[in-house]
Amino acid sequence: MKYGLLHVAVKNLKRKAFRTAVLVVSIGLLVSILVFGASFLLSVSSTLEKAVNRLGADVLVVPTGARDYAEEVLLETKTKAFYMDRGIIDRVKNVEGVQDITYQTYMTTVFGLCCDIPPATVVSFNHDTDFIVNAWLDKSIGRKLKKNEAIIGFEAYDNLGLYDVSSSLLFGVKFDLVGVLDKTGTGLDNAIFMSDENIDEVISRGKAGLKPDTISVIFVKVKNGYDPLQVSRNIEGAIIEVDTIERNDMGKKIITSLTDIKNIFLITIILAFLLSAFLAWTVFSAIVNERSREVGIMKAMGARNSDIVIMFTLEILILGFLGSVLGILFGTYLSLSLSNFFSLLKDMAASLSITERVGIGLLGIVAGSGICMIGAFSSIIRLKNLEPFAVIKEA
Amino acid sequence: MQLLRRHRLAQIEVRDTSKIYRIGDNVIRAVDRVSLNVNRGEFVSIIGHSGSGKTTLLSMIGGILRNSEGEVLYNGTDIYRLREDELSKYRAKKVGYIFQFASLLPVLTAKENLLLPTIFSKNGSKPGGKKAEEYLDMVGLKDKIHAYPSQLSGGQQRRVAIARSMMNDPELILGDEPTGDLDEETELQIMDLLGRVNRQNSVTIIFVTHNSELAGTASKQLKMSNGRLHEI
Repeated sequence: MKYGLLHVAVKNLKRKAFRTAVLVVSIGLLVSILVFGASFLLSVSSTLEKAVNRLGADVLVVPTGARDYAEEVLLETKTKAFYMDRGIIDRVKNVEGVQDITYQTYMTTVFGLCCDIPPATVVSFNHDTDFIVNAWLDKSIGRKLKKNEAIIGFEAYDNLGLYDVSSSLLFGVKFDLVGVLDKTGTGLDNAIFMSDENIDEVISRGKAGLKPDTISVIFVKVKNGYDPLQVSRNIEGAIIEVDTIERNDMGKKIITSLTDIKNIFLITIILAFLLSAFLAWTVFSAIVNERSREVGIMKAMGARNSDIVIMFTLEILILGFLGSVLGILFGTYLSLSLSNFFSLLKDMAASLSITERVGIGLLGIVAGSGICMIGAFSSIIRLKNLEPFAVIKEA
Repeated sequence: MQLLRRHRLAQIEVRDTSKIYRIGDNVIRAVDRVSLNVNRGEFVSIIGHSGSGKTTLLSMIGGILRNSEGEVLYNGTDIYRLREDELSKYRAKKVGYIFQFASLLPVLTAKENLLLPTIFSKNGSKPGGKKAEEYLDMVGLKDKIHAYPSQLSGGQQRRVAIARSMMNDPELILGDEPTGDLDEETELQIMDLLGRVNRQNSVTIIFVTHNSELAGTASKQLKMSNGRLHEI
């Protein structure tokens, strides 16, 4: 290393290796909380946005009071069954601004009673009108599903343990399992899909708890130039038996429930920030007492106030940078490890873009270095203003 | 004319300078209306008892303690009328200071301690590393280049400090008890070294001591008592 203030700063940090390590770890913990929190919140938002995009609908129509259930099935991994009259399809078609519609019916399996798989959502969809599942089928098996054929969602394959299973009993009907869909990032990754040609037979076996001529959800695409929100209001105004979810409102329930988590993160980060700042202040106050004579000697040798400020700022920035790097690594590790406990975060690694990751990293570095600067500010000013003779004489 | 000539000759001119401390109602004159002229290349000793004001006077000449009254001129310029940065530059480029105590930075090796003043004087173009080694050789510590202060004896540390005071080729070296706490042999070595620097490089040396024998080695001897300066 070229001899200069940086060299002196590094040597000073090495002098008290344990104290330096404590400060670095403390900043590292703060930054790791920050990185984990930011990754978590960004990832949830990103996952939700991608899931909503994958569904490709502008408005969802569900039975009155079933908004939350629909979001739980479509965006989370929960199994819910909710139904409305099939006749509503035609009524929705007639609402102004509606261009295309398709519908799905959700059934829940019960192991041993109706089915030979653990509890899961089975989605029945209409091949002719569908603008969601058909595209997924094209990518995985390249054809439509035939009668008595079913296909497994990406997550369901693992979650239900359907390895090397070629057929399954669903609601008393034998289905050939023809493949596994690619990952979609939606809650439907946990479902099994069949075409609605099978619905009559399923109902006739009486094991699905499904009445004839019922469906769960209608997906609506609005005509160009129409505001989805307005169309959504039109549908609710025209049909009393339904609720609607406009595209931008999808996932709001989840985001609302995340607000509490966000606040907890925020409070934790603020506390960690204050603690780290206090620690930095304590450490640098001790440094002022320890090194005031050295600073006096340096000033007597011609060090300018700016030299003193630069030297200590370098020490702070090195501490902050090391702490930040440690925190970014630990925070990322924490995010990826803990993501298994949160269904929405299973794809955290993939759901954050490079820009978002770099942004989080920079945020970590700025926070880590900033905390040191704030904690050490008063100490640096004291060192800068030391009168050389006074501190040399005191020593 | 005489005044102009004196100005041209005197490298350091201390004019009616005092340092006054006020503690409550008490007024203490640590240095009391002192006047002093030192020409380039002089070797000056200031002798006096502890508390006589000699360190205070030396510090004022070195630019690390502002005077309360009078003027401290260096080559005709009152150093305490300089801006803070200019005063730092004076300390860095014109003055080499040898402190009364071990003043080496403990985290730096002997060589790194020598290089420290060069950072502040911004003499980046000079090959500082080689020069530091030469100076350490000159003070008999060639084999201690990479030693830390804790690995050096008191006398060796003092020699490193003397070598450090010369790193920026100062025109003036100020020694505050430069041989304090050292054994007689080391004391003689250090005074011999300072004498050589004075003779070979025409560097002005002012040192303070309470040892009259040591003070006698200087070409000009002054005495301080109760803040007042007298020629011996």
